[in-house]
Amino acid sequence: MSSVIANLIILRKRVSTWILMGVWVLLGLTFAYLLPYLTLRGADSTTAQATLTTLLPENLIGSVLGGFPVFGGVIALMLGVLAIGSDYGWDTLKTTLSQRSGRLRLLTSKITAVGLGLFVYVLAIFATAAIASYTIATLEGATASWPSALDLLQAFGAGWFLLVIWAFIGLGLAVLSRGTALAIGLGVLYALLIESLLTALAGQVSWLEGLVEYSLRANAYSIVTALGVPATSLADNGPGSFSGPFVDTGQAFLVLCVYAGVFFLFSTTTFLRRDIA
Amino acid sequence: MPGAAPPVDDGVGESVEDLVIRTSDLTKRFGAIVAVNRLNLRVRRGEVYGFLGPNGAGKTTTLRMLLGLAKPTSGSAEVLGSGAGSAGSIGQIGALIESPGFYPSLSGRDNLRVMAKHSGASKERIGEVLEEVDLAGRAQDRFGDYSQGMKQRLGIAAALLKDPELVILDEPTNGLDPAGMAEIRSFIRELRGRRTVLLSSHLMHEVEQTCDRVGVISNGSLIREGTVDELRGASTLRMVAHPLQGARQLIETMPQVEAVEIMDGALRVTTDSKAAASINKELVNAGFAVSELRPERATLEEVFLSLTRGVNSQ
Repeated sequence: MSSVIANLIILRKRVSTWILMGVWVLLGLTFAYLLPYLTLRGADSTTAQATLTTLLPENLIGSVLGGFPVFGGVIALMLGVLAIGSDYGWDTLKTTLSQRSGRLRLLTSKITAVGLGLFVYVLAIFATAAIASYTIATLEGATASWPSALDLLQAFGAGWFLLVIWAFIGLGLAVLSRGTALAIGLGVLYALLIESLLTALAGQVSWLEGLVEYSLRANAYSIVTALGVPATSLADNGPGSFSGPFVDTGQAFLVLCVYAGVFFLFSTTTFLRRDIA
Repeated sequence: MPGAAPPVDDGVGESVEDLVIRTSDLTKRFGAIVAVNRLNLRVRRGEVYGFLGPNGAGKTTTLRMLLGLAKPTSGSAEVLGSGAGSAGSIGQIGALIESPGFYPSLSGRDNLRVMAKHSGASKERIGEVLEEVDLAGRAQDRFGDYSQGMKQRLGIAAALLKDPELVILDEPTNGLDPAGMAEIRSFIRELRGRRTVLLSSHLMHEVEQTCDRVGVISNGSLIREGTVDELRGASTLRMVAHPLQGARQLIETMPQVEAVEIMDGALRVTTDSKAAASINKELVNAGFAVSELRPERATLEEVFLSLTRGVNSQ
């Protein structure tokens, strides 16, 4: 537990932790609320009403959760990378492991701290989104009715789960590359380009569709759509767009857990086996 | 004493109980390169042991193996009675390996807080070690803003955090100005007797000033071990007297003289330096003109260079 606290101190005191959170919240608010709200002015009344509905507190989950599978994932991946990758660059692993032995303990304490940190990220995006939606409702004179506490809790848990999966991947890439730059580069490349291309090509190449069903994107989006994110809104989601195939929620949860498990196992064995330079 | 077991001998004349570090044929290879070659290191409790060697000799690799940061290719290492890198040994070791590694965005105090959380050291201990290395006044500043000397001092503070029995310092004066170096050396001398110190260095005067015993490592092998005095060998007297050959013949007959030879137009007399006055008196009484008389002794640097040159040229 004390090692988790040590890693929480590091996370809390690092500027990059707050920059990443700030960027995510800012992007989330801009693309989920500000830009759609600005389009209301020039839109016809039917479109404007439909758009406004998505921006109201009752659709908080649908507006926020859609950003978790890819964009939030990339942010979580970066946090995971920074949590251990920076230790290679700063030579702090040797200092830490000279204080107390146990590489497995160190690695698990890092991922636990990142998990707790991501809890704050999820809280921040939900809180700011709630404020944004309430402000829009007030400005437009609409009623502010909120999703049920249970729905919110489920959405919160699912969002946190998706981010943690990505953080595990970041951790694995950082251990593999013993640093941050290559790990973040590879992670972003995979998340935003490779999976995007695979998904786009899946409609044309039949065997790819089967493969895409096991992609992070397909499984993560399957979870959020089950919780109220409209599938139609994901098709034009930029580099994070997705139009299927969707899979069963149980399978999605299981596949994502396998991702986390594989990356954790890989990180652990690599970290335990290698010398600390 | 009935029932008391005699101290176990490790086979090279050392009592195992007195040994804080004991390696047996410790070897580390990186591909075809042998970084550490069948190293048998013995460090006794309470001493300051100088681990002397040129850059790339295998010093840091050895220290990393002692801390469990690197795994030996073969051989073994025992530190404080436990396997190297085990919880039992790491719990009693404080180490500064090469450059001090800390989180640049955290203050000196926060970095120590983090390390204390890992090691289980108390909050009070953080203040104590900061005082001990004279860094309390700058403890709130970011590590990234520290000078090299302050970084080194924070590294030593972290090494002392657990109040360890064994302190391993790898080139602790690297990058320090002369005042900083003197400060660190005096600090190491203060540790003598209270803790066992393994000091790795390639700076002769540093080792000469601080260490009780020295091990010289070159190309991964321990090529000489002993006290600084033992390594430097016996002192000699350099004398210039006329006529030289006659003076040599007379000196050779003196009982207090072990050997005498002519070197660079002077006599090199192997004897106790206390005998200088009596030798001088006898020469003068015999009518020799003595124009120079001074004690001469190989410096540790000369010994080191002759040892390592010999190995490197092989």
